[in-house]
Amino acid sequence: MSELPEYVRIVEEIFDKYKDKEFLYVGKRIQRWDAIEKIKGRVLFTADFAKYYRNAVFVYSVRTKYAHAKIKSIDISEAQRYPGVLRVITAKDIPGVNDVGYVIPDQPLLVSDKARYIGDIVALIVAEDPNVAKEAGELIKVDYEKLPVITDPLQVIDLRTLKEKEHPLIHEERGSDVVAHFKIRKGDVRKAFDEADVVVEGEYSTPFQEHAYMEPEAAIALPEADGGVTIIATTQCPFDVRKAVAKVLGVTQNKVRVIVPAVGGGFGGKEDVANELGAKAALAALMTGRPAVVIHSREESMIGHSKRHPMKAWYRHAAKRDGTLLGVEANIVFDTGAYASLGPFVAWRATVHATGPYRVEAARVDTLSVYTNNVYAGAFRGFGCPQVTFAIESQMDALAEKLGMDPVDLRLKNILREGDRTVHGQLLTRDHGVGLEEAILKAVEASRWHEKRKLFSKQVGTLRKGIGIALLWHGNSIGVEGADYSSATLIINRDGSITFRVGLIDMGQGSQWGMVLIASEILGVPPSYFRVEQPDTAATPDSGPTVASRSTVMGGAAVVNAAYKLRQRLNKVASTLLGCDPDDVEIRAPDVYCRSNPEKKVSWSDVVEQSFWLGIPLQEFGYFRAPPAEWDEETGQGAPYITYTFGAIIAEVTVDLETGGVKVDRMVTAYDIGKVINRVGAELHAEGGAIQGLGYALMEEVVHNKDAYVMNANLSTYYIPTIHDVPDEIIPIFVEAKYRRGPFGAKGLGEPSINGIAPAIVNAVSHATGLRFHSIPLTPEKVYMALKKAGKTLF
Amino acid sequence: MSVIPREEWDKYPDIEITLNVNGKDYKVKVKPYERLLDVLRYKLGFTGVKEGCGRGECGACVVLMDGKLVPSCLVLAVRANGSKVLTVEGLAPEGKLHAIQKALLDTYAVQCGFCFPGVILAIKALLDRNPNPTDEEIKDALSGQLCRCGSYLRFIKAVKLAAQYIREGKEYFDESGARG
Amino acid sequence: MVICIPRFNVYIPKDVSDALNALSQRKDLIPMGGGSDLLVLIRNGIVKADTVLDLWPLRKELAYIKREDGTVRIGALTTVSELCESDLIKDVRYAGLADVCKKFSTPFIRNIATVGGNVGAAHPLSDIALMLLVLNGKVKLLSKNGEREVNIAKFFKGKRRTVRNHDEIIAEVSFTETPHNSSTAFIKFDRRWGHAMGYVLVGAYMQLRDNIIEDVRIAFDSTGNPYPERVWTTEEFLKGKEFSDELIKQALNNVLPKEMKRITDYRASAEYRLDLSKVLLRRALLKIKSRIEGGG
Repeated sequence: MSELPEYVRIVEEIFDKYKDKEFLYVGKRIQRWDAIEKIKGRVLFTADFAKYYRNAVFVYSVRTKYAHAKIKSIDISEAQRYPGVLRVITAKDIPGVNDVGYVIPDQPLLVSDKARYIGDIVALIVAEDPNVAKEAGELIKVDYEKLPVITDPLQVIDLRTLKEKEHPLIHEERGSDVVAHFKIRKGDVRKAFDEADVVVEGEYSTPFQEHAYMEPEAAIALPEADGGVTIIATTQCPFDVRKAVAKVLGVTQNKVRVIVPAVGGGFGGKEDVANELGAKAALAALMTGRPAVVIHSREESMIGHSKRHPMKAWYRHAAKRDGTLLGVEANIVFDTGAYASLGPFVAWRATVHATGPYRVEAARVDTLSVYTNNVYAGAFRGFGCPQVTFAIESQMDALAEKLGMDPVDLRLKNILREGDRTVHGQLLTRDHGVGLEEAILKAVEASRWHEKRKLFSKQVGTLRKGIGIALLWHGNSIGVEGADYSSATLIINRDGSITFRVGLIDMGQGSQWGMVLIASEILGVPPSYFRVEQPDTAATPDSGPTVASRSTVMGGAAVVNAAYKLRQRLNKVASTLLGCDPDDVEIRAPDVYCRSNPEKKVSWSDVVEQSFWLGIPLQEFGYFRAPPAEWDEETGQGAPYITYTFGAIIAEVTVDLETGGVKVDRMVTAYDIGKVINRVGAELHAEGGAIQGLGYALMEEVVHNKDAYVMNANLSTYYIPTIHDVPDEIIPIFVEAKYRRGPFGAKGLGEPSINGIAPAIVNAVSHATGLRFHSIPLTPEKVYMALKKAGKTLF
Repeated sequence: MSVIPREEWDKYPDIEITLNVNGKDYKVKVKPYERLLDVLRYKLGFTGVKEGCGRGECGACVVLMDGKLVPSCLVLAVRANGSKVLTVEGLAPEGKLHAIQKALLDTYAVQCGFCFPGVILAIKALLDRNPNPTDEEIKDALSGQLCRCGSYLRFIKAVKLAAQYIREGKEYFDESGARG
Repeated sequence: MVICIPRFNVYIPKDVSDALNALSQRKDLIPMGGGSDLLVLIRNGIVKADTVLDLWPLRKELAYIKREDGTVRIGALTTVSELCESDLIKDVRYAGLADVCKKFSTPFIRNIATVGGNVGAAHPLSDIALMLLVLNGKVKLLSKNGEREVNIAKFFKGKRRTVRNHDEIIAEVSFTETPHNSSTAFIKFDRRWGHAMGYVLVGAYMQLRDNIIEDVRIAFDSTGNPYPERVWTTEEFLKGKEFSDELIKQALNNVLPKEMKRITDYRASAEYRLDLSKVLLRRALLKIKSRIEGGG
């Protein structure tokens, strides 16, 4: 084995050093740095900055009339003449490359020859008054030739044969509308099914889900003297925006500066769409020489940014009489809509997780991502996992039912434990931390599973209770999507205050605060000494995108490196002041002393001041890179992720047999996240993920009609849970099976917190009704119709 | 090309209105189609008022107008003429936190914070008429305040805590004392 | 500054007669009550507005709840909140209006939405219009040339279309106080509890004496047309009979389906809506019975 890089050794050294230590800040509930400013209404989000620009222009996007059409011509002359219009921009005005595609270059910023979904933009109108811009938008004349519209991915692909069907191509330039195909081939699948005592089979479908963050997308661009541009934008990925805008403008990346102020929720939805907004604002700013504002209306937001991929899947599980899993087969089709966005990566992550956190000796999985004329699908919390987890965990319950086993017992029989290999052949060593069994047992205990499972089986009357379980896992890092690196900067200022910079953004999840707590712990300085500077490509280091639950793990590991190095230097300076060994130095700012002689103290500011006089640098740049993922394209064997987060969800529901209505009464969420860093953040993730997952399970679905128009593009028709819809109680439990290469052992939680919610709820409804369900959202109508078909309606 | 002709503007002449926002009087010229939301945010700078949907469906832009909770995206500025408006910025004096704000901190409810100005004013509207609300009354009062981060359960706890603070006569707290 | 709404002018009337004068002279005026519906329609381009007639200043004259001479009169510009905070809905006979208050949009919309606006919206999901149907309500229309009263059952002509002429405004809704052995109920059901549109809305009024249904009126969000309507045949079937679960089941299974045609749309199927209509009507009637009997 080659020698480990220094940045990995440092993380391991810190892990070993703190393994059994009492923590000062890490794992404690500490108020986030911006809580008061947010609660006072002082924090500025992107659109708020518009109040400062009196000379600003507004950019309005004219979108296509048809979801699938050839564009023969675009006539802007009348709009251009409309009083108050400063400029109309079409594809031919783009100085650089007309593309904002994320994984593959398939998505024009402005379409000129073909529209592929209703959000495609044919022209931008720049005016001082947005209302004027909107009115002028009506005057853009486009000559369309309508093409047949495809809204169902199964018009493109056959679910059983996985063959591409004859259909009008949406991306004829690619010659196929299959964007990606990922596989797992492991063991002898035929033999597994031949020898099985029981086989369960099912088709599953999941909906388009909308992020519905409360802050719609926005960007403001300011022209710079050198032909560059500064962009304030609501994005999860400032460095990706910079790259995309530079490409569209045809300038080098150092001419584009992206600043990210407070972000009002992201959940994966503010990744690639920010490239589009940044580019629109930048074009308008450079062409008018004035600040340019782009703010999407809610309706635009609903049709104009990526969604969670709908999934259609066919699953087959083989097991022995005693419940041991023998094999899994799955055909999975993801609808990526009109553009790939992050679709290929989503499909890959789904494939990796497609057999669940179980020991599976034989598996065949095929996952295809295909184009349709629907709104494009991309990243959304969970990133492909919520879809497959719904299918797998439904299958597990169906299997338990067929075997007459308790669903918990069946799972305990098959779960991954330390020393096991994943379906990809990855060995889960002690260093990974595998706390799934502990999570299950704790959730079972907290939910009083066994007692309720029995009790609820004997109900009569209209209202029936049920309790259900689902397990989940989630690979940490971005896997084979690219090199997963991150970096952070710590600067100790002359007065002892600390400047914290990281390129990972805070969209509400509080991960920057988690990173500050890590630095606090290592430096021995309270979090109140820190100022979190918002990501700015001109000042913060490229820390990679804020995706994949990687902030605390990857950003945190970079912070560990920076803090570790600073601490070494500070210890040395302090030791000269105190006269002890550097390893003996204890920093408890404002005090610094030697553990061997705690009475003798110097102050934190003395140590800092002394460092300046000695010329000891008190700024440090921390870097961390995850070991490269291993993945064989043909067999899906290797080590796809650095480690895994595990979890067990138990949901308790009440079903109204007359209406089919489902109320979630209580949820227990037990997650193995290695080590809780930011306790408040972790708890809020557990709650927030559960509530968003509840919406996914029971009510949320973006509906396209046959012309691929979105039927519910606003917040009164696209339902997300309100305060009336949440459970009475969500009990978060954290298991700490530590990952040796995470900061203090931490693993990610942001995304996994939604993975297992829907299947747990649906399994609970199955328990209450005695019926199985294969499709979410599990609306009252679906429940009612199933009951009616089974002759189980009371009335 | 860049100048908007006078006659175009005259189609929609400015109307001068007076507003009292957070205790201070303002005279503003507004367009007839302009929303109270736009005037508060972009003309007067009260960006604590957020726009989440512009359709009265999310609750982010609510303000108290003459004591009533209203969606400022569905109130024309001309209609607000002569009224008293309270936004989140005016809830507590400089350097102070209102009991509702303190309670939201104490329950660690803050995430992205975008819905908070609306949530806070909706809680204020509730507690102004019902100093001791039940869980069900709290849910009813906040049923229009969408929060996608999912702080709902903490809102319920916070309302009860705020109600308790107010009952105990503790309406304001020092901002500095609340810092972590 | 920053939102794309088609521009429009606003006419601000001094009082009712000024508003009526303006309406009689100008074809371009679109009256606006609270604005919670109209402003969204303008935003979406569904209504093209040149000039909006803001009725809000008319609240001086047209915002009231009066109970006199056995009649309940509600000024058209009374907000839903004002209705919901009034003593009227504490009367067990009008408990159905209290049900509406729990489910009508959201608290801040109730603060601007008006009773007249809800009726004038002529939408299947007009909660208050639906309750007025079962209360046998009337709509008072004012114009420069005088006033007329229209029974609410004859008020709607189509989705967002009513018998109101361009020069008229809705001034008041009213209904005769109902007997003490009567009550009302309203149920809206959807997959979301808070801020729901409703797959089905039902409102009912019933008068019981010695368990005999003396009178009953039932309205749904839709029975075939895109606006709330009563189910007259079902009402007739129930009237004069003894209240029993068996009777209600007969009404629901044998009578109601014959006079109700439900639609399938992206939210729900016709079959589910019909079945749900039955379930909710039964619940509404049971609720009313319990209210009359003092069960709240």
